Amino acid sequence: MTLRPNSALQFVFICPLSSGLHARPASHFAEVANQFAAECTLTNLRNGLVGNGKSVLGIIAADIRHSDQCSLFLSGPDAEAAHTALRRFVEDTLATCDVPLADTSVSSRSNSIPRSLQAANVSCISGIPVGHGIAQGKVVVLRTMALSSTVNSAVAGDREQELERIKEAVSAVRRRIGERLKYATTPIGAAVLQADLAMASDVLLLEKLTEQVLGGKSAAQAVIETGEFFTDLLGHSENDHIRQRSIDIEEICTQLLEEVCGASPAPTVELREPSVLVAETIGPQQLLELNRRCLQGLVLEHSGVTSHGAILARSLGIPTLAGVRNARLVLTAGREVVVDATRGFVVPIVAPVVQRFYHRERKTLERRKNARYRSAEQSARTADGKTVEIAANASSGEELGLAFANGADGVGLFRTEMIFLGREKAPSEEEQFAIYSEAARLAAGKPVIFRTFDIGGDKKVPYLALPHEENPFLGCRGARVYADHRDLLQSQLRAILRASAEGTVQIMAPMITSVEEIVQFKAAIALAKQHLAQNGVQFQSDIKTGIMVEVPSVAFILDQLCAEVDFFSIGTNDLSQYFFAADRGNSKLAALFSVRHPGFLQFLSQIVRKIHKHQRWVGMCGEMAADRRNLPLLIGLGLDEISVPASEVNHIKQAVSQFQSAACIRLLDRAVACGTTIDVDNLVATQQLEPEPLISEDLVLLESTSQSKEEVIQEMVDAFYISNRTQDRQLLEEALWAREAMYSTGLGYGFATPHCKTGAISADSISVLRLKDPVHWGSVDGEQVKMVVLLALRDSEVANTHMQVFSSLARKLINEDFRQHLLGVRNANEVTTYLSEQLGFPLGVTNEAPTAANST
Amino acid sequence: MKIVAVTACPTGIAHTYMAAARLEKIAKNFGHEIKVETQGAMGIENKLTACDIRQAQIAIFAIDIEIEGRERFNGVKVMQVPLQEALKNPEDIFHKIQH
Repeated sequence: MTLRPNSALQFVFICPLSSGLHARPASHFAEVANQFAAECTLTNLRNGLVGNGKSVLGIIAADIRHSDQCSLFLSGPDAEAAHTALRRFVEDTLATCDVPLADTSVSSRSNSIPRSLQAANVSCISGIPVGHGIAQGKVVVLRTMALSSTVNSAVAGDREQELERIKEAVSAVRRRIGERLKYATTPIGAAVLQADLAMASDVLLLEKLTEQVLGGKSAAQAVIETGEFFTDLLGHSENDHIRQRSIDIEEICTQLLEEVCGASPAPTVELREPSVLVAETIGPQQLLELNRRCLQGLVLEHSGVTSHGAILARSLGIPTLAGVRNARLVLTAGREVVVDATRGFVVPIVAPVVQRFYHRERKTLERRKNARYRSAEQSARTADGKTVEIAANASSGEELGLAFANGADGVGLFRTEMIFLGREKAPSEEEQFAIYSEAARLAAGKPVIFRTFDIGGDKKVPYLALPHEENPFLGCRGARVYADHRDLLQSQLRAILRASAEGTVQIMAPMITSVEEIVQFKAAIALAKQHLAQNGVQFQSDIKTGIMVEVPSVAFILDQLCAEVDFFSIGTNDLSQYFFAADRGNSKLAALFSVRHPGFLQFLSQIVRKIHKHQRWVGMCGEMAADRRNLPLLIGLGLDEISVPASEVNHIKQAVSQFQSAACIRLLDRAVACGTTIDVDNLVATQQLEPEPLISEDLVLLESTSQSKEEVIQEMVDAFYISNRTQDRQLLEEALWAREAMYSTGLGYGFATPHCKTGAISADSISVLRLKDPVHWGSVDGEQVKMVVLLALRDSEVANTHMQVFSSLARKLINEDFRQHLLGVRNANEVTTYLSEQLGFPLGVTNEAPTAANST
Repeated sequence: MKIVAVTACPTGIAHTYMAAARLEKIAKNFGHEIKVETQGAMGIENKLTACDIRQAQIAIFAIDIEIEGRERFNGVKVMQVPLQEALKNPEDIFHKIQH
């Protein structure tokens, strides 16, 4: 962002939001602008469109997309204050005020209808999936809301009266949305409602409504024409996101109309049993009015996947399809249907094959969930059995929930400053206590390390009134501001200490450089404890205290510091920037900045060794830990804990099993001795991974009741999915069918060997399935198939060692004794043992309960 | 009889090797001496040398795709069949050879 020095009341900024300045962030923007009397004109310098910065509609009509350059012009009595506030908003908050949508990726693959349904000629009606999931229920059709047809003949009364009616209607609609907002259950739901609220009070909307009434229209007509004006305006945007706002404004206007006319033009429907609602489109208000217990799925004719209704449906976890043409004609009311928002179609339950398919699908999803749960429960262990604690970094209860769902062993870094940023006043002790104690409870006994607020540097708040500094990263930040803000530190320490009564809580100080600082910090903790004790408040009296290792000076006084603290956590982001004297925000210096610099690795190695010499605990919580490439180096360092972003916990835990800790130690030794970072990179890249076992018991299915070739292949693909060897069942299935299309893989003697080479799997794999009742496979000898041996090879450039095993397996299948043995096995273990003996490959033995779910 | 053979299937993962194993087994039953080259996912294995080819009375190609080094067999009698034949009716192939 650049500032034009010649105009104090104008500034230029670049839109940082990937989805553009759409309704939700625009509503925050307008909220700030509306605190001032100054006029606020927003110009999109890319397309020249000008909008009123106080109006959500005005802002979104300017069609501001990601990285568009915009200028904001302020004039009026309080223009200067408005300028300051809006600049601060744009700099500090705008980039973070858009609630990210859980999964906006929309796939409309044409060929996602399962083979078994295709083979049975079941007609599936395609749509664009919004979110995931499968729902079943009876069709309920919602008739269209129509603005214009309702009140064409409303006669205009007295202008003053009509204006009054408009004003009342606007307040009533605002109240209505406000009421719903109180009960919003998800952050996205709240954000959507907030945007609706902003739109309902939009200055441009009011202006237009007033203009219409003053021009002689009735209140109802004014609403209709204003609605049409804005839907038309937004509907012509090139930005899909903005085009879809026209649906939202239509809903607001429908509600206004409802208030003005006293009647309800918006159709409602009462759901009494598990239902799939079929509609042209749906607004968030309408959606929230429905009985959620009965609403199983949603089928929309309109294709807007980012309409507020669709966004809300996704955030509520309602399987939804958009863009289903003629849905209201094709799907008759009362019919039982399945909405498959995972594959993107809706299908009436007509044939038993559909019933069977979804029965099996539900089982598969359940098994996969259980398998994932089990793997999250297990602690991460290297191939040679060394346990590595994987914790998560977090700054909110939501992140914490995700972290523990992913199997985090604790919270290695709770960034408390996130609670302090982006607000005018510091959070109260009570507010902090609520957050910290919730975190402690969520952790259910696992340790949570709260880092006291680390403000300064790139993180500023108005109420600390930090001085302007030439080099903020080398200035007043972290523990250095505590001396001037004792009360703030005290209230935070009290909040953390009180939370310690509800779980295993630890306190960590940021930016410590000397022994004096930690002594002062500990004195502050003692003071907070004393205060609580005097007031009879519960806390963990032996609470552990630690420091961040992020300033190099600390590394040279570890002997002294180990006498003062219980633990250390290496913050690699700051430590490396201070170590290399290179600003990590400066992309020109990126080459200087690698954490795989041999000198930095040497430095880390010395720190860990020194701390361990004193039997103190040391973890790592910086970005270095989050990058999987560094994992063998971190294992080699012998860290007690690696703390990574909540979303990465599962992946990192699984990746640990691919390394031998002894090999990692050797790797680190060699890396430290390397001349350059590139040498280290090459060394790490060529590190031998422990191969995943070719077969595991969950890939052996000996009691299959599949009734067709389609079902068999699907069942085996599902086994890959359950054991987490594939994330894309469709791709794997299609690869197998592509091979079948050349000629059948039925080799005779009741055996078939479907196979493929595909990028859809994470590990070369063998799967074995034995059928209760043989199925047709189009085998060379015309006989039905009883036993299926599936070979899946990973599509990779690396020369494949497993191909040797596959080719000998293929040769062995020609051997009658081998086939007979397989036909006669009694359990899955016999299959894996027999194959590994016969073909000479190792089975995975790292976990006591061998589950393939540990593969990545 | 001395026979050389080449097997190759589209993916080179399974059938190339199954066919090779099958040809080796049946040839033995017929009392022939056979050497089978496989062209699969692991590349060419058990490669036929110029000497192998020169000494052979016939070359069997059980293939679904074009093979590498076909010119090596110039001047040798070649019998080419779809790979599936080697799995379905390998005996037939050897019966035909004898005539």
